[in-house]
Amino acid sequence: MDYVLHIAVLIGIYTTLSVSLDLLVGHTGLLSLAHAAFYGLGAYTSALFAVQLGAPFPVGVLAGMVMAALVSLIVSLPSLRLHEDYFVIATFGFQMIIFSIFNNWIELSRGPLGIPGIPQPVILGWAVQSHFEFVFLSTLLASFAFLVVGLITTSPFGRVLRAIREDEVFAQAMGKNTVRFKITAFAVSAMLAASAGSLYAHYVTYIDPTSFTVMESILVISMVIIGGAGSLWGPMVGAIVLVMLPEALRFLGLPSSIAANLRQIVYGVLLVVMMMIRPGGLMGRYGFGR
Amino acid sequence: MLVQILLNTLVSAAAGVLVAVGFTVIYSTARFFNFAHGAIFTAGAYILYALIAICEWPTWVAIPVAVTAAALLGMGLDLGIYRPLRRKGASELVLLIASLGAFVVIQNVIVLLFGDGTKTLRAADPTEGLYILGGRITPIQGLTVIGSVVLCIATWLVLRFSRTGRTMRAVANDAELAKCVGIESDRVILVSFGAGSALAAVAAILIGYDTDLSPAMGFSGLLSGVVAAIIGGVGSIPGAALGALLVSTAQNFGVWMLPSQWQDAIVFVILILFLLLRPQGMLGTPLKKAVV
Amino acid sequence: MLRCEGLTKSFDGVQALVNVHLHFPESGIAAIIGPNGAGKTTLLHVLTGFLRSDAGRCFLGEREITRLASHRIARLGVARTFQDLRLILQVPVLENVLLARPEQQGERLLPALLRFGLRAEEEENREEALRLLRFVGLEAKAYELAGTLSYGQQKLLTLACCLATGAKILLLDEPVAGVHPEMVMHILGLLRQLWQAGKLVVFIEHDLAVVREVAERVIVMDEGKIIAEGPPHEILEQPEIIEAYLA
Repeated sequence: MDYVLHIAVLIGIYTTLSVSLDLLVGHTGLLSLAHAAFYGLGAYTSALFAVQLGAPFPVGVLAGMVMAALVSLIVSLPSLRLHEDYFVIATFGFQMIIFSIFNNWIELSRGPLGIPGIPQPVILGWAVQSHFEFVFLSTLLASFAFLVVGLITTSPFGRVLRAIREDEVFAQAMGKNTVRFKITAFAVSAMLAASAGSLYAHYVTYIDPTSFTVMESILVISMVIIGGAGSLWGPMVGAIVLVMLPEALRFLGLPSSIAANLRQIVYGVLLVVMMMIRPGGLMGRYGFGR
Repeated sequence: MLVQILLNTLVSAAAGVLVAVGFTVIYSTARFFNFAHGAIFTAGAYILYALIAICEWPTWVAIPVAVTAAALLGMGLDLGIYRPLRRKGASELVLLIASLGAFVVIQNVIVLLFGDGTKTLRAADPTEGLYILGGRITPIQGLTVIGSVVLCIATWLVLRFSRTGRTMRAVANDAELAKCVGIESDRVILVSFGAGSALAAVAAILIGYDTDLSPAMGFSGLLSGVVAAIIGGVGSIPGAALGALLVSTAQNFGVWMLPSQWQDAIVFVILILFLLLRPQGMLGTPLKKAVV
Repeated sequence: MLRCEGLTKSFDGVQALVNVHLHFPESGIAAIIGPNGAGKTTLLHVLTGFLRSDAGRCFLGEREITRLASHRIARLGVARTFQDLRLILQVPVLENVLLARPEQQGERLLPALLRFGLRAEEEENREEALRLLRFVGLEAKAYELAGTLSYGQQKLLTLACCLATGAKILLLDEPVAGVHPEMVMHILGLLRQLWQAGKLVVFIEHDLAVVREVAERVIVMDEGKIIAEGPPHEILEQPEIIEAYLA
């Protein structure tokens, strides 16, 4: 039972990650390879706030989100005025160096040793300890992400994002400051990723840099794409499919070291196959342009 | 000390140029950010390792075979994935995502076959190498620099003067127009993939001999190469050389002067500075023509 | 009102614009003609901020707009269309027009999340958008995807979008090219109405009959320069113009 609940918590966390990434990929048409970096920023910030400063969970989460939003500007301000390829490369570079900072800034992050002993969340007196409570918190977070992204995409703001995705020049000719919209969407998606990171850190109580690599970014991208970018339920479907995948592989009785690689190979293959036969993903919405 | 840093800079720049040029050659015709380039880079080195350490082939046979294998792998990706997608009118983003998938698969196959740890190609007893003005340079490093210069000049000459090179440049400049003149861009792109992948493999092999192989070498190799290509100006080989030199200088001086957590950040900072100040790079054109 | 002086632009060694001076009054209807490659579209791009000129300046009234970003110029009341029709084809016609509506609070993050008063604003914009669609004659298609419209209808849609921005100045790149004759007359009729309503309409055109039909002023360009300007009946009779044009 505990195991099923654990999967449910992970699904909640990854749904938050994929829904927030979809705001960028599916609704604005921008591919970011840095989602894991923001996930990690949230995790490390709230972990350090709790472990070093003794700050309560909500403060740590907020600090992580603010950190992510501010840091996102370093990537977005220089690159979003230029062709989208520059943005992808900038996010790739950013992802690499954030990992490097987690791994090498020993005084702050303890490098590869990671940060153990992260306290479980206490929110306004409610101490989240049992698996059931974590499932509840995780579902709450995923719902929050859904709400935020849903409100944005169904508003005039979202209308402009879709226009940017389809024809940015047209949007500019109609008076829209497209760069501002892209920067804002990127910051929002970074903040939501950071909040997922905070929950993750306080759930597993130990984090290290290996959870926040570029492969993790690609995993979330896979969830968005396989589930269906730009659709309402797509990212969640993708999260469920890809979280359950390793469990399915487990039934084949493979040793765990091989399973990890095999799992990645499966979603690499799925990415390629999806692009070739059904770019709109399972939920079939945005096909990434003609 | 300074001399050693300069020598190290020269060596890593030499390898970096090859990756940058390989990336540029592919980008200029295929016109999308081929992420899988990093995996082909790694595959080149590992195929060589397999041939030498496992199959025990002599080096002088193994190297050309490994480079050819990498070229074939790159061309295979184009034939099997990118070309069909292009035929369907897939957007650049679709190609990029497909290349991400290819990258993940190749990367993980390498780890499955060879494990996570580092592998070495170096001979048991390290050779002394040359001493220049207080700095040391090993034979392999010297070979890297010489080999890189030779390959770059060769590539430049081929692109400039050979028929293949001219058709590649025609497609890079204007694929539509090239088609009107009867140039089949599909074939040209295939050749680019072959050449670019071969260059990447050579770079990986040289780096592998110098500093050992690890599965992660593809990531940083790709990043350095791409950044060098951008800041040098995509489409320009002298630019790629300049870019690689700049990136490499910053990295090596960074190792000397900065605390370790910021060393990789140097490459990123350079990229950001260029994006802010001179996106077209030092010598070339911006990644894409203006939108309008 | 809209004027430029000394505009010069070259790409890859080709001189696209050479020392272009132009002055447009508050309202009017002018056509820019010239052979292919004369620089007409380049001029449009420079005036609307999509291309940066190498030299020269542009003004909107007293205000210099030379280095302004394209979206800022659009906000100042200069709307334009493109030679290759630009629209959001995958969404309904109405949504394209709604997009163009200016000053939407709902386009800011906080109002989008908190939704105070957004419904009223959206209703207002929707009514105005439908009114504009009615004006151009597309009201019946409001909820269809823009991609399902015929080419001529799509041109009407781009016109409606320009009007939705509230612009006083409309710069149209070949508004009737490739459109069947009935639709041409319909669009020209709309342009005339807009002129009479006090707007400035400047359009690039290849068909001299269209120009004679509706323009009060013709500007002739060739090789990046303006070689003649004046009322159609004067300019279009001149043999050099006809020759330069047809050559």
